[in-house]
Order: sequence, then structure tokens, then C-alpha cells
Amino acid sequence: MTPAVPAVLAEIAGLALRNAMPDVHPADRASSLGLSAALLGMAAEVWDGTAARLVEENRAVRALLARAGEVGLDFAELAVGDDADLRISSLQAANDALRAALIALQTAAEAKSPTLDADIWAELVASTERRKMAASPV
Amino acid sequence: MALEPRLAAYIATRMPHASDIVVEDLSRISGGASRETYRFRLTWAQDGARQDRKLILRRDPPASLIDTERRIEFEAYRAFRGSAVPVPEMLWLEEESEALDHPFFIAEEIAGFQASPQMLFGPPYVAILPKLGERKWTILAEIAKADPAAIGLADVMPGVAADACWDRELSYWEGVLDDDESQPLPIIRAAIRWLRANPPPPAQKVGVVHGDYRTGNFLYDDAGAIHGILDWEMAHLGDPLEDLGWSLNPVWSFGTGIAGGLLPRAEAIAIWERASGLKADPAALHWWELFNCVKGQAIWVSSARAWLDGGNREPIMVYPPWALQNAQDRAALKVMGRL
Repeated sequence: MTPAVPAVLAEIAGLALRNAMPDVHPADRASSLGLSAALLGMAAEVWDGTAARLVEENRAVRALLARAGEVGLDFAELAVGDDADLRISSLQAANDALRAALIALQTAAEAKSPTLDADIWAELVASTERRKMAASPV
Repeated sequence: MALEPRLAAYIATRMPHASDIVVEDLSRISGGASRETYRFRLTWAQDGARQDRKLILRRDPPASLIDTERRIEFEAYRAFRGSAVPVPEMLWLEEESEALDHPFFIAEEIAGFQASPQMLFGPPYVAILPKLGERKWTILAEIAKADPAAIGLADVMPGVAADACWDRELSYWEGVLDDDESQPLPIIRAAIRWLRANPPPPAQKVGVVHGDYRTGNFLYDDAGAIHGILDWEMAHLGDPLEDLGWSLNPVWSFGTGIAGGLLPRAEAIAIWERASGLKADPAALHWWELFNCVKGQAIWVSSARAWLDGGNREPIMVYPPWALQNAQDRAALKVMGRL
């Protein structure tokens, strides 16, 4: 999720301190606390699974990038990563690089390889299932 | 200085025949990621009597998820005042920052009604959803029917040719994504490639597009009536199908699976066609529905960007990207028939 969870939690901590002051207007405090509660709930929901989700997704995208030769591209360097650093910020940085390359790969696959294009779509659908929140409206 | 006396001092300059002007009960309304919205009660003395009125202040925030011209929003409200499209009365527009630190406008408050989508799905409102849906898409049809020149908006909003509506909107929102995205968006980028390769036919007419016509942006009662269409900050001239497509965006179904959480999609479209006299060509509407998934994602991305850059650290700026980015991707997949 972006903005990253730790930065948002730090901001909410500061907000909670400000809302503890007696001169905060009740309507402002209610609005702030309600939204903060919703964000805390979402942060709690993703806390345990984020690293596993990113590792799974990075593996799936690397497998697709390894096939870049089918459409005349070369993502060999990206395709051999191993997610040795399990900090979420590191996994997310790798995920960003991989998904940026995936966009280039799919753009080429649309013109040259319907099979690869279909496999990329399958991963994109799977990625939205991995990221789905309990209260998702869709 | 507190906001109340500054607001009262500003209003005094706009009400030269009033005296003893007081701003009371000022409170911020929850939400409002593109503008800060406050309600307050204004009291004043005039013609020997004490008078009062409930008003709304809409002020630009330090950084917003949508960059818009407040004059266009103000004039859009004014243009539809007294028409079949219910809107609050606009009173004063201030485009300079001296009075309240940021530009703002002041309008009447249409008090006593609900706007929250969440309240719709429990008693007593759940019983009136079909009636509310009928009103919602009938009013949208009235916006589509309006002649921009006749209501004065052709002078305020930039014009666009019927065959250029789609490219102007797509280019604008693609540019927002280019500027603001902090993580790659493969699904939305694929959608953009498809949209460019398969443009829609020219608009049947160039009309007024509300720009954010959805459940949550109107005031309703428990009889199924709509008393005010709000949040015109993205209003512009364009293809009326753009608004219809936004109203059908799956993220506005609130998990119900039906249009706007109110009606089956086919019924909503039929109401709009009947009331507007326009056709919702299925292929053209499909294009605009997918476009609106791109636009929605651009808005959620911009909200995250405003927070990341430090211009606005309010929790409301985090909620849209956290709650809706994946949902918007899923909506795009649904519109493309892939989910």
C-alpha cells in the first residue's frame, strides 16, 4: 500500500497526540479519529501477510520476465533476483522494479505473443486477489 | 486568529447593509479531500431585526487530490440554480488568499438531508433505493440535456470538439498518472493502451459533465427525493457518456454489485436514455466506463502523492489510495471482462 504503512502509522500517532488536547473542536476530533480508525484497521489487516504477498508476487513476475526473449526483450538481470532482504521496503522496491518491467513486457507481448500476454493477464488478476481488502467494494 | 472572526469580517465586506455580523457553530464536515468544507450559522442585524442563515464554506486545502478551478465549480452551481438539477445557492467567491489563507466560496447549506452512502444500506433508506436510483439518473440526464451556452457555462469552461472529448480527458488523466504515481500500475497502463487503440465515436453532443456524479455526492431523504447535487469541482464540457460511465464505476457500487448501490446497471442506463433523449451506445459507454477506471486510479494516486510530498498529511488523503487502489484495478478488470 502507498503511502507506506509505517509512515502513516507515525502520522496517526502524532494526530492522536494532537487530538488528546482539550482545545480540539469535537467535530474535527470525531472526523480525525474516525478516519484514523479506518486506516488502523486496514494496516492491521495487511500487517501479517504483506511480506509473503510481495515474495509470491515477485516470484511470479520474475517467471514472466524470464520469458522476455519470446518478444525480443531482455530482462535477465531482473528475472534472477531472490528477495534475500525480507524487509517490506526492500521487497516493495523490488516489486516496483519488476512491475515496471512487466508493463514493458506486456506492451511488447500484446503485439507479438498472445500466449505471453494471456499469462501476464492471469498474473495481474491474481495480484488483485492477493491485494484485495476485506471491505473492498469490488 | 480563529477562523470565525476572519470569516465574519470577510462577509461584512459582502453585506454592506448588515451589521453585528457573527459566525457561530463553525464545524468541519468530514471528508472533503479536494476542498475543506465547513458548516456554520451566520447571524446579523438588518432593517431592525436579527436574522440568521445556515451556510457552507468551501476552502482550498494546502494540497489536494484534485487540482481544479474553483471559479468553474462556483459557476457550475450557479448555472443550474433554479433548474431541474437541484443545487445550493452560491453566495460569494473569493479567489485571493488574504481573507482566509486560501481561496474559498460560501454557499447556502441545504440542511436536514443525508449524503453518506453507507447510511443507504440500512433502514429506513434501504427501502427507497429504487426510487432514489430513478431520481439519480434522471437528474444526471437533466445535466446531459443542458445547453452549456444557454446556461452561461460555455463562457467559463474550455470548449472541446465532439470528436476530441475522449482524447482531451484521457490525455489529462494519463498525465496525472505520469506525474503522481509512486508505484507502477500495469492494469491501468494496459487499459490506457486499449483506450488509445480503440477510441469511442464522437460525442452525440458536447454537454456539461459534472465530473464526479456518484452516490455520495448528492443529498437525499427517506422518501427517495434528491435535494442537492454536490461536488462540481471537476465539472467541464465533454461527452455526456463520461458522467454515465463514472456513475456506473464498480467502485461506487459499495460492494452491492449494482450501479451506485441503487439499481441494476441496465435500469440505470434505461432511465438515463429515456430522460435525456440521448443514446448510450454500448461500445461507446464501455470505452467511457474503462476510461473512468483510469480517471479514478489517477485521483487515488494523486491523493497519495499529496500526502507523500507533505503538502497535506490529513488521514483523508491516505484513505482513498489504501481503500480504493486495488478496488479500482479490480473494477478495470471487471469492465475489461477479465474478472
